[in-house]
Amino acid sequence: MAAFLRGVGGLVRVRGLLRGLRGLGCGADQRVSFPAAAPPPCSSLRRSFHCAALRLQDKPSSSSTTYHEHDQAPSAHAASQQDPDPAAETASSGQSEDQDEDYETEEQLQARILTAALEFVPQHGWSVEAIAAGAESLGLSSASSGMFYNGAGDLVLHFIARCNAQLTEVLSEQHDQLQLGQAERKKTSEFLRDTVETRLRMYIPYIETWPQAMSILLLPHNIPQSLKHLSTMVDDIWYYAGDRSTDMNWYTKRAVLTGIYNTTELVMVQDSSPNFQETWNFLDNRIQDVVNLASTAKQAQSTGEAVVQGLMGAALTLKNLTGVNQKR
Amino acid sequence: MAGSMRLLFRRLIRLSHRNISSTAAGTSCQSGGTSSCRGFSDAAEDRSTHFGFQTVPEAEKAQRVYKVFENVAQKYDVMNDAMSLGIHRLWKDMLLHVMHPQPGARLLDVAGGTGDIAFRFLDYVKSQQERQERRAARSSQTPSWQDISDKYPFEDTPHESLAVVCDINKEMLNVGKKKAESMGITAGLSWVVGDAEELPFDDDQFDIYTIAFGIRNVTHIDQVLQEAVRVLKPGGRFMCLEFSKVTNPVLARLYDAYSFQVIPVLGEVIAGDWKSYQYLVESIRKFPDQEEFKSMIEDAGFYCVQYYNLTNGVVALHSGFKL
Repeated sequence: MAAFLRGVGGLVRVRGLLRGLRGLGCGADQRVSFPAAAPPPCSSLRRSFHCAALRLQDKPSSSSTTYHEHDQAPSAHAASQQDPDPAAETASSGQSEDQDEDYETEEQLQARILTAALEFVPQHGWSVEAIAAGAESLGLSSASSGMFYNGAGDLVLHFIARCNAQLTEVLSEQHDQLQLGQAERKKTSEFLRDTVETRLRMYIPYIETWPQAMSILLLPHNIPQSLKHLSTMVDDIWYYAGDRSTDMNWYTKRAVLTGIYNTTELVMVQDSSPNFQETWNFLDNRIQDVVNLASTAKQAQSTGEAVVQGLMGAALTLKNLTGVNQKR
Repeated sequence: MAGSMRLLFRRLIRLSHRNISSTAAGTSCQSGGTSSCRGFSDAAEDRSTHFGFQTVPEAEKAQRVYKVFENVAQKYDVMNDAMSLGIHRLWKDMLLHVMHPQPGARLLDVAGGTGDIAFRFLDYVKSQQERQERRAARSSQTPSWQDISDKYPFEDTPHESLAVVCDINKEMLNVGKKKAESMGITAGLSWVVGDAEELPFDDDQFDIYTIAFGIRNVTHIDQVLQEAVRVLKPGGRFMCLEFSKVTNPVLARLYDAYSFQVIPVLGEVIAGDWKSYQYLVESIRKFPDQEEFKSMIEDAGFYCVQYYNLTNGVVALHSGFKL
């Protein structure tokens, strides 16, 4: 017993071990009344193996490197419990119940806190106070907002990532419906207009504080991330619009849409019309401009060609008239 | 009554746990525990630990550290300023800046002694609260008489921020209490005598646990870390400010020369105690370096552990979260 504990001690959570010991030592605990029911020990043992296995999968993705040692200990612990000792089984199951709570990785917990913090943004703005309020609403201490070294930047970038994910979902749903033949194919300009409107409407609940968020995104250490989010979003929209170009058009199309999106966003933050009607009108006009530009470019090119041909003809006529062309 | 029974029960369990895994129960014996302590004191004398560059039995270390701080308590702050040329204030300010406590947070400052961290914490939280109130007042319109009368009975915020200073040494706490009185701080501060390896608090009590320049003096660092896990709320933060290894070799040599030649002399001149300051600089060398301490914190069960080197590694600020 002593050797076993020495091997495990220091690596396993002490609280769980103490509780297990208490269960073993006191014997008055209700958990020890196990031998009566046959199925529960098996399922709890399976669960403790399952827990240990999941821990092995989960932990490598977290930042700490000593977790590999953690993994060996619980799995060895669970394996050694195979020797039928109902009291020991209760200890391991009690422990795995403890460990069930922090199953999710740190990244998942951080994502949960940031999502909860979005609720408090209208009150506190995009700031560490909002994150602290979000953490408190989840039952964690407000000090856990210190986990976010980028503070408000983390919150804004998380929100942007969520909006982009939602947009991609909506677009792929529409695409599926198109494949199934349940919807008709929209014109490109209409598609772009609807998509940009859908995406910008996601900002409406936070529109009061959105200028603060935009300024946070423009801070130098946030620019790489915010540009990445913007470019992936624009790329997604063009992909679902059906663009498969592989030449210079790829760049021009995305640049144009980025311009439209950013300018419309700026109009939106200072728009006070009902239901943001001014913004959607502005968006319509910009897309119309782009469409016109495309057709104007084609017209200009053909006009140019026609003009050049006319000039060549005029020059030839002149040469004929002056007799330069004649062979003497 | 129930609280003390729980404490006693927990102490018994911990003692039995220690006996099984054969580690010393030295410090708890000293605090005059139950009669079952006596039986385990033999195990304690077999194990020894470092006291500066000397080796002493574990049971003795706590006593000797107590005497060191009893002697230096009166001149502690003056000596801090002299030895670090005032930079220790910047280190403590940096600790508060990284901590960024929110209004309503509860702080436990262990080995807090003269209360430097606790005072800074209360100032920071007060200014944060004022800022929030100013922002709220600016954004809301002039309140009507109805609004004011509604808010009247609830003027103080539902959760007040609280700082608890815990130290094993009564002399240091007395110095701290006098400082608080002279600064005029009365609310939100309490002074508790306690051992960092066995804190007299219930589980899940505090938002932030700090230990500034105290953890190298304890006998069992891992027990202190485990106690920290116990008393912190889920999501709570552990922060430790401690002298550490200087990264730059040139500066390391200068730092060593300064530590061993200048500091004990200052100790003799200002505080009249060469030996205590000799112990201080030796104990700094005995403390594990940044990476090792970081892995000790992770072993205790903290997540997202990070450290910041201040002044090129003279001081390291470690932070971890209980998730």
